[in-house]
Amino acid sequence: MTEELMLKLRNLKVIFPNAMGVVKAVEGIDLDIHKGECVALVGESGCGKSVTSLAIMKLLNTPPALISVDELCVGGEEMKDYSNKKMQEVRGKKLSMIFQDAMSALNPVMTVGRQIQEVFLTQKDITKKEAKERAIKALELVGIPEPARRYNAFPHQLSGGLRQRVLIAMAFACNPELIIADEPTTALDVTIQAQVLDVLKRMQKNHNTALLLITHDLSIVANMADTICVMYCGKIVEKSPAYALFKKPYHPYTKGLLGAIPKLSDERHVFVQIPDSVPNPMHKPKGCYFHPRCAYATDKCRECMPPLRDVGDGRMVRCFHALEEV
Amino acid sequence: MKNFTEKLKKNFLVSLLVKLWKHPKGRLGLIIVAFLGFVAIFAPVLAPYNPYDVTQRAAKGLAPCWEHPLGTTITTGQDILSMLIYGTRVSMSIGIITGLCIAFLGAFMGILAGYVGGIVDTVIMRLVDVMLVIPTLPLTIVLTNIFGKSYFMIVFIFTIFGWQGLSRVIRSQVLVLKNANYIKAAELAGASKARIMFKHILPGVTHLLIMSTAMTSAGIMVAEAGLSFLGLGDPTAISWGKMLAEVQSGGALLFGHWWWIAAPGVGIFLSIFAFMRIGMAMEEIFNPRMKQSGASYKLFKSLSGTYIQEVFDSMDETEDRKEAEV
Amino acid sequence: MKLSYVLERILLTVFIFIVVMTLNFFIPRLGVEDPAERYYPPQGNMSEVEYDIIKELTREQYGLNGTTWEQYTRYVNKLLHGDLGNSMRSGSPKVADLIAERIPWTLVLSVSTMLIGLICGLLFGAFAAWKRGRWPDLLLLNASTFTTALPSFFIALLLTYFLGFELEWLPAYTDSNMIASFDWSWDSIMNVAYNAALPVMSTAFGSIVGYAQTTRNSVISVSNEDFILTARSKGISNGAVLYKHTLRNALLPIVTSFGMSVSGLIGGSTVIEQIFNWNGMGTLFLEANNTNDYPLMMGIMLFMSGFALVANLITDLCYGLLDPRVTVGGKR
Repeated sequence: MTEELMLKLRNLKVIFPNAMGVVKAVEGIDLDIHKGECVALVGESGCGKSVTSLAIMKLLNTPPALISVDELCVGGEEMKDYSNKKMQEVRGKKLSMIFQDAMSALNPVMTVGRQIQEVFLTQKDITKKEAKERAIKALELVGIPEPARRYNAFPHQLSGGLRQRVLIAMAFACNPELIIADEPTTALDVTIQAQVLDVLKRMQKNHNTALLLITHDLSIVANMADTICVMYCGKIVEKSPAYALFKKPYHPYTKGLLGAIPKLSDERHVFVQIPDSVPNPMHKPKGCYFHPRCAYATDKCRECMPPLRDVGDGRMVRCFHALEEV
Repeated sequence: MKNFTEKLKKNFLVSLLVKLWKHPKGRLGLIIVAFLGFVAIFAPVLAPYNPYDVTQRAAKGLAPCWEHPLGTTITTGQDILSMLIYGTRVSMSIGIITGLCIAFLGAFMGILAGYVGGIVDTVIMRLVDVMLVIPTLPLTIVLTNIFGKSYFMIVFIFTIFGWQGLSRVIRSQVLVLKNANYIKAAELAGASKARIMFKHILPGVTHLLIMSTAMTSAGIMVAEAGLSFLGLGDPTAISWGKMLAEVQSGGALLFGHWWWIAAPGVGIFLSIFAFMRIGMAMEEIFNPRMKQSGASYKLFKSLSGTYIQEVFDSMDETEDRKEAEV
Repeated sequence: MKLSYVLERILLTVFIFIVVMTLNFFIPRLGVEDPAERYYPPQGNMSEVEYDIIKELTREQYGLNGTTWEQYTRYVNKLLHGDLGNSMRSGSPKVADLIAERIPWTLVLSVSTMLIGLICGLLFGAFAAWKRGRWPDLLLLNASTFTTALPSFFIALLLTYFLGFELEWLPAYTDSNMIASFDWSWDSIMNVAYNAALPVMSTAFGSIVGYAQTTRNSVISVSNEDFILTARSKGISNGAVLYKHTLRNALLPIVTSFGMSVSGLIGGSTVIEQIFNWNGMGTLFLEANNTNDYPLMMGIMLFMSGFALVANLITDLCYGLLDPRVTVGGKR
């Protein structure tokens, strides 16, 4: 990966103060995504991955959120201090986003074509007619049959898969440098999921876009992502090239996640489970956040938070005992 | 067993009252309602004069004085304070009784329509459509003309024309509940329809009923005041609406007897205001998401910059960063 | 909008009208064997023979003779020809003519109240939604409790007292010559405005706050929707997000509440008309009630119901135009 860095995120923190205290949603995350690379951010719901994506887009409202970030570079442009007005100029052009539930992410009273056309119209020097032609072209690119007819369709008239393709077309419309896909297939049936992922992958390869894929489902990450970051309770606990992670996960949490994926060759009768559930974000445990659910936890883990250590081969892991086992 | 359910029901109401008391809006409402209730019950003791006494020719149109704190009426010399006190009875009792009747009828029709469905649903909903179209006030006037003006006629008419909105709300909630697993389980277990409706569905809509009863009571009080203002209320009772009508016909405006105008107005205002406050408090208790977001702005203003910085800094991992750099 | 949706709405409207019409026919017949007794109740000084003659005459005059079914078909047949029957006033004027004479005056009050409420309410509601949680919003929230708790007729009395009697700025009672002398001249139009000021002000408060509340709630709930995030992520301007995405969707509940207030345009101001001696439909109805004029009362009620039905139908059709999701069998 010698290509240029499209996303450089350093020390992103997001907190939500409320009457009872402070919810620390994201606690200092670093992310690097290169041109043409797909980085997956994986974690259970509530671990802060969606908040991370909205924070990168600068779409979180203050209040309720407070954000602190050391560096937020998209395509070499430092956007940390950008005003809302300035962000409007780069959103859609330099970075864009694909949301989870296409039904609610599309305006119900506007035709899908017009919604895509809108993205093109944010560019200067473009007529409405051109924008429309390009919107139809965009629909065609994501494999929507009869794009000219579908241009005039309302979101509720399309199937779930087609709606998600519309969102993809919209995100890729102005060929941005970075695309964030937040659970792009979670709301879909499994068979449709594969098709939509194929479209996403093809679009990414064709445009050579940097893609941040956010999901809770490790299985869909396997043939999409180059790098995987596993997130737990607002912190990254493991970062690794995809193949290595699947081959040998280091962090006990990652092991748990992988253990929950069924394989064809499985002879197991019982899946490995991670006991209990994610701790309340208001009252995170002392020490390593994962220790109450971890089988390897020691006194040290209960006392202090392990650092994210570089363990070679481009891998990083946040666990005192990760290498002991190796 | 019966004892036990009795206890539970009691507890539910008691705990609701406690919650209302703890809620700032609810407490104000409860205090006013308790006060008005006290006044209504002990009206004969509290009222200094007989409000029906129209023979006080010497004391006509007095301004507020020690003998008559709110003065007397211009036409008949009735004591206004005593009228105000007695007026509480009609307003409060019609408001509460009709509110309860509407809750019963609305719940019954709504649950029947929603749960039984089919032809029953169609008939009830068309009935609702029809009754919503008929102008209420003229019909009330015609019906009191035919059946005579009396307390129970008014309660009856207000009930017959007040349940439609509530039943629509209940019906849509029942349609949601109907598909819940516990209802399906009860059906499979062979529970009768009546049992399911009253034992399983009714508890699921109770909060809606209680909430709406407070609000409908307030609305009924307005309607009752309007009706007696037009001279169509219970002819034997003193009510605030009727007092306002006498204000207009008795020349209070012309002679500038503002206390006579204000007295019934304050009564109407207090009673309706109190019930609306209770209704709003219950809405917020049952439905915390409805809460005004004002609190979050206040909170944000109160947060100091240093505190926020501390929270952000507390997430930094100095050790971790050093190690990563090494 | 699909044709089937339009047809369904129209059929439903016609069906409800038939039911309301039938109810209307039967109401004067409630509790009496002979509807003529309702129309002409027995008087103390009348002998039975005299009363029988009077009832016979009443039946003939108001089509109450024959079986109930015959009466009903006659009634429906007359309605189909646009005839609401004749009033029991002297000279038996047509009910439809009496209504036509009064309706413009009711509409003067109610339409101006509605327009003021709609315009101010939309602006203020949108403003409160924009300043969510801050003082304009809290002001609106509290205003809504106050306007419900202070019924329009009490506000009317207060305004009459202060502006009418104390300050003598505006007339406390409607000029009785206003309607008779109206001739579309500038002066007479201004005279109407002058006389309508107090009645309109009395009801406008509630109307403004009502629309503002609806607008605020619907704008806020729409701006929490995911598609607003999508729109913002596309990089279109705040203005475009507001006009094309937020307001367009927030309009739907406003249309519904607008439709509801349109259906109350005729009957809604009875009390206010009574207070100000404003000769509109409400006063006409009260007059009819006082003189036991059943044909007139029932005619007015049917007219009001019909008006409400047409208003609802138009609202539903507008809704269908605005929201492509509406389908046969209910909204959404």
